Amino acid sequence: MNGGGYFGRYGGCYVPEVLIPALEQMAQGFEEIKSDPVFLEEFYTTLREINGRPTAFTPLPRISEKLGGARLFMKNEGLNHTGAHKINHCIGQALLAKRLGKKRIIAETGAGQHGYASAAVCARLGLDCTVYMGRKDYERQRPNVYWMELLGAKVVAVDDGSQTLNDAVIAAFKDWVANPESFYLLGSAVGPHPFPAMNTFFQKIVGEEIREQCLTETGKLPDYCLACVGGGSNAMGIFYDFLDEQSVQLIGVEAGGRGMQPGEHASKVQRGVEGIFEGYHSYFLQDGTGNIAGTHSVSAGLDYCGVSPILAYLADEKRIQFESASDEEALAAVQMVAREEGFILALESAHAFAHAFKLAPQCSPDEVIVINASGRGEKDLFITMRHFQEESLLTYAQYLLK
Amino acid sequence: MSHLVLGYPTLQESIATAEQYIAAGYEILELQIPFSHPTADGPVITQACRDAVEKGNITVEDCLGALAGIREKYPDQEIIVMTYLNRIFAFGLERFCLEMEALGIQHIIVPDLPVDSPQAHTILAQKVQLVPVLAANVHPERLDKLLGMGFDFFYLMSDFKITGSTFSLHPRLQEVIERIKTANPLARVGIGFGISTAEQVRLVTTHADYAIIGSTLIKAKMEGRLAEVMADLAV
Ligand SMILES: Cc1ncc(COP(=O)(O)O)c(C=O)c1O
Repeated sequence: MNGGGYFGRYGGCYVPEVLIPALEQMAQGFEEIKSDPVFLEEFYTTLREINGRPTAFTPLPRISEKLGGARLFMKNEGLNHTGAHKINHCIGQALLAKRLGKKRIIAETGAGQHGYASAAVCARLGLDCTVYMGRKDYERQRPNVYWMELLGAKVVAVDDGSQTLNDAVIAAFKDWVANPESFYLLGSAVGPHPFPAMNTFFQKIVGEEIREQCLTETGKLPDYCLACVGGGSNAMGIFYDFLDEQSVQLIGVEAGGRGMQPGEHASKVQRGVEGIFEGYHSYFLQDGTGNIAGTHSVSAGLDYCGVSPILAYLADEKRIQFESASDEEALAAVQMVAREEGFILALESAHAFAHAFKLAPQCSPDEVIVINASGRGEKDLFITMRHFQEESLLTYAQYLLK
Repeated sequence: MSHLVLGYPTLQESIATAEQYIAAGYEILELQIPFSHPTADGPVITQACRDAVEKGNITVEDCLGALAGIREKYPDQEIIVMTYLNRIFAFGLERFCLEMEALGIQHIIVPDLPVDSPQAHTILAQKVQLVPVLAANVHPERLDKLLGMGFDFFYLMSDFKITGSTFSLHPRLQEVIERIKTANPLARVGIGFGISTAEQVRLVTTHADYAIIGSTLIKAKMEGRLAEVMADLAV
């Protein structure tokens, strides 16, 4: 990273002037805590106390054998409290907010996992929490809305635009403009400086743990690390610690949706163009004249138009390779991991698994693939059930209405 | 100073509205090139931008054509162009500045472009000036830095809110204006966001050079009451 939060030419801090004091304060706070032993001790203790870190490093022997080729392992971030990796950066940012004397937190959420984690952490720290969620996500990830509300957060459904994550981010920024004294707890490695660097800093523990666990389990570092890419928080979490290990191949898997036509996917590194939006310079899905384009993914958490400026930079540098997995492939991966290994994955994470299943047979048996299972799949109950057992879902809905 | 979205509801009608503003004697026209996701605007302007982009397929080129038409008819009318960064980034920043220069437009407002960022430097290397959009929370050191950069037009947000919110005037703005005027007596200051009555126009213009009216006029246009609302706003 060079000055001002730039990664090559990507990143930066492109916000209305009214937000600059808040972002400067946040950036300065972040600089201080990075090397403050008291803060870091509290951060790591909290990760241990409420998430039970380190999370498990789990071999997938049956699938490895079935596919032939590499040995597959998953890093199970779904074991975190609230069910995904999101709570790692929520704990870090909320502790920073506390330190800066903030009383009110604003957050956006797509799948609801970041909002759920924010709500839980805010409840524990006694912070007021407002979560913005696109109306479409509010409907399709309803269980998480309920959890957030039970945890005392205010959840606002955003009716604007395509009613997904992008619109939630914009609504959260508008709230921040009206309330610049609040703390915006952004949910991925996107947005203006210092968010991408800060998010990565709090998520990099995932890769650090993998390094040790993989050495213990296999006697070597991974040959491949895979993660799904929405904004890039779980991907930067698993990749960061291996960036300087040239033997470790890093693969980000984007949402292939229903196909590569515009509006049908969310593969921004592969299909997006350079732009500057929502505070940062990166790749965005656009219409060719500078308007932001629509996206689609079966997984709400990947259904977003932009990507971390750090990932954009590392893609250009050819350090990270990008691939896509379709809605159907992700759903098939959920089913396969459930049947063969006994885990129910979040639909987001399943994209990374879907690509790993294509990659593994091309590898030799001494190669190790580690996949970030960024979240568990309970939140997707009604989406996957509609897909796998629509009749049972309808019967259950009728039963509930009785 | 009055604002509209080019291409809303159609390009022709927005040009006609601009002419209506000129006839009513507004000193400066703030003409917005629509972007799909106007991140600092409230529901009214957002809707107008969406309609222009989605229904009208309005491009930057279309807007430049409309501006050229207005310029030809009103060679002396002061016009400020407002848009979001990604729209002109995609068009090409230098190319956009050259177009502005050719149209005799001296100022542009890009709310999501900090005026000391690399892209702002690209723009400032050309002949067009950026208008910083400031709020009451601007740090004195930052304001001094911007004043040192030679900006001569400042847009102040009436309060901490997005466009089209209920009007209020933040008490600290007075101090910001004084600092601007002390450093550069020739600098002009406009205040906008939420202004919807003649009384508010009067109040704002006791502090600033211009009251900037946006959402109120666009909403009036949406409701077919533009002439009536313009008459109500006259001071
Ligand atoms: C389980 C899970 N994985 C991945 C993502 C995608 O986000 P990111 O790319 O920031 O990891 C989400 C977002 O909601 C998520 O809930």
